[in-house]
Amino acid sequence: MNENDRRAMNVRQRNNVEVAGDGPATLVFAHGFGCDKNMWRLLAPHFAPRYRTVLFDQVGSGLSDLKAYDRKKYGSLHGYASDLLEVMDATAAGPVIFVGHSVSAMIGLLAGIAAPERIAAHVMVGPSPCYINDGDYVGGFTRADIDGLLDTLESNYLGWSSSMAPAIMGAADQPELAIELTNSFCRTDPEIAKHFARVTFLSDHRADVARLEAPALVLQCSEDLIAPRSVGEFMVRTLPRPTLRILENNGHCPHLSAPTASAAAIDEFLAGLGH
Amino acid sequence: MAEGGEGELPDAEALFEDAACGLLLTGADGTIRRVNRTFCRWTGRPAEALVGKLKVQDLLTMGGKIFHQTHWAPLLQMQGAVAEVKLDVLHGDGHTLPMVMNVVRRSHPGGTFDEISTFVAEDRNKYEKELLLARRRAEELLRQQQEVQDALTRSQAELDRQRASAEGRAQFAEQMVGIVSHDLRNPLSAIQLSAYVLARAELPSPHRKALERITHSTQRAQRLIEDLLDFTVAKVGRGISVTRESIQLHQVAAGAAEELRTSFPGREIEHRTIGEGPCRGDADRLTQAIGNLVANAMTYGAFDRPVRLTSRIERETFALEVHNAGKPIPPEQLAGLFEPMTRGFDGANSARSVGLGLFIVREIARAHGGEVGVQSSAEAGTIFLLRCPR
Repeated sequence: MNENDRRAMNVRQRNNVEVAGDGPATLVFAHGFGCDKNMWRLLAPHFAPRYRTVLFDQVGSGLSDLKAYDRKKYGSLHGYASDLLEVMDATAAGPVIFVGHSVSAMIGLLAGIAAPERIAAHVMVGPSPCYINDGDYVGGFTRADIDGLLDTLESNYLGWSSSMAPAIMGAADQPELAIELTNSFCRTDPEIAKHFARVTFLSDHRADVARLEAPALVLQCSEDLIAPRSVGEFMVRTLPRPTLRILENNGHCPHLSAPTASAAAIDEFLAGLGH
Repeated sequence: MAEGGEGELPDAEALFEDAACGLLLTGADGTIRRVNRTFCRWTGRPAEALVGKLKVQDLLTMGGKIFHQTHWAPLLQMQGAVAEVKLDVLHGDGHTLPMVMNVVRRSHPGGTFDEISTFVAEDRNKYEKELLLARRRAEELLRQQQEVQDALTRSQAELDRQRASAEGRAQFAEQMVGIVSHDLRNPLSAIQLSAYVLARAELPSPHRKALERITHSTQRAQRLIEDLLDFTVAKVGRGISVTRESIQLHQVAAGAAEELRTSFPGREIEHRTIGEGPCRGDADRLTQAIGNLVANAMTYGAFDRPVRLTSRIERETFALEVHNAGKPIPPEQLAGLFEPMTRGFDGANSARSVGLGLFIVREIARAHGGEVGVQSSAEAGTIFLLRCPR
């Protein structure tokens, strides 16, 4: 095994990388704050017949290598952007299409600015470059709101700590799914979750948005508390090559609550790029 | 009514309304479709203000709303259930109420609904807050401990640095003294040799007197240099070295006494021997010790009385004693007498020497595994004693 192979294997283990599907182009999916790569479970299979799909867990989430969590490196989104470039290097030769949810849309943005040749196009699901209101900019939150979230995370410390799996109730329609997921989905080291929340919700990358040269689809949900319409409008106003699609949907996770509409919007965007 | 619950059971409606937990039924978007009396009572909100008007997330604090979107909603979508979530619910009067919630999403013929049960968790909340507080306190203590540890490590490093620096200085001092002593000895030897040559010539009496002073002073200067060297080695260097071999103690002492008589013309030095047998010691070093003790006695003892050197061989030890008559040493000075730079008690003579002689005697004794002692009284005079194992 040569040095490159070894590095690729380390990255695959560190980020719990999962490659599926087949096709000339590669889609790389990155989950946002709060959950893990299982978030894409309803969306990624839609693309698998026509694309290679790469799913991975951000370090600190899901089944990533928690030992690799370095508070300094992941003290800004740039640490995650550098991981993302490594994941792409480890899984795809040419440029990829990047699909990022929430904070990961910004991580993809940073990676795309750092290495424009690696990402041909961006799909940003509920992106927000800055969560806190600032002058005319309406991010949706005040600093006190974010502190409230950190408190909420902390007070769910017992329930969410990875050692204590809560009783699985109901889910009668798909019990096997529930059992499989409960152990990792939304479940992580509470200290890491708090730190990730802080880094995510206190980040401000508004100045970077205009620097992304690649085309970008902004999937905006009509009623998204985390990334409200005003933020989507800022993105479209600021991105050099934006496409906006608004999904009638309640919430921040259209890939879960409206997978069909989300897939259709992405298909249309990719078709426009010649895919 | 029958005792023990054997009568007719309460209907489902009554059970729902006054259940021992708050119950809510919402659409998948969170819109409240039904709520029981228990929940309304706990939250101070009438049902008509909730049903069809608010979503369950509207009842949460902003932090809770974010949590709802980042955890609760995806979990429901992915696994159809959420268990043991603790969130602050806004009471109708504005204060917050910690509640633990279970949610299950189920499809019925009429659509998909989220069924939520809630429990007030004031006490659990308090307890958990205490736990978190204790945890933070423990982390703070750990941090402080770490800081102390770090400071200690830094002090230790500084100490090591200073020690290394001090050792460097000591070594330098030893080398300096060594070089200076060596360079001083050469001119002194030349002076001594010249005095020896002159002594063989016929000199008028006043000149002869001057020559004697030259010889005497040169010897003293040489002794001082030796002392200084030994002091430096003993105090800041490796310590005085001795080579112990079989010696005839009485012969060594007799030789030393003979030499000293020439150094102190006009003064009487008696030598007494007690006991017999071989001893192990460094003849040169013991001669040096006797020299220092006798010189001391000459300086501080009565000028008109003999100084008595005793070499004594005992069962397991040997000793050298030097006795002089005269004014006793004040008791308060006895303890520090063997420390370096301690001058004699006679103020008039204080400029005579830097006070290394007795210190070197002690170091020679210690290098032999022995010790020194002193006794002093007006009646018995002063006795310095050096005693070593044979």
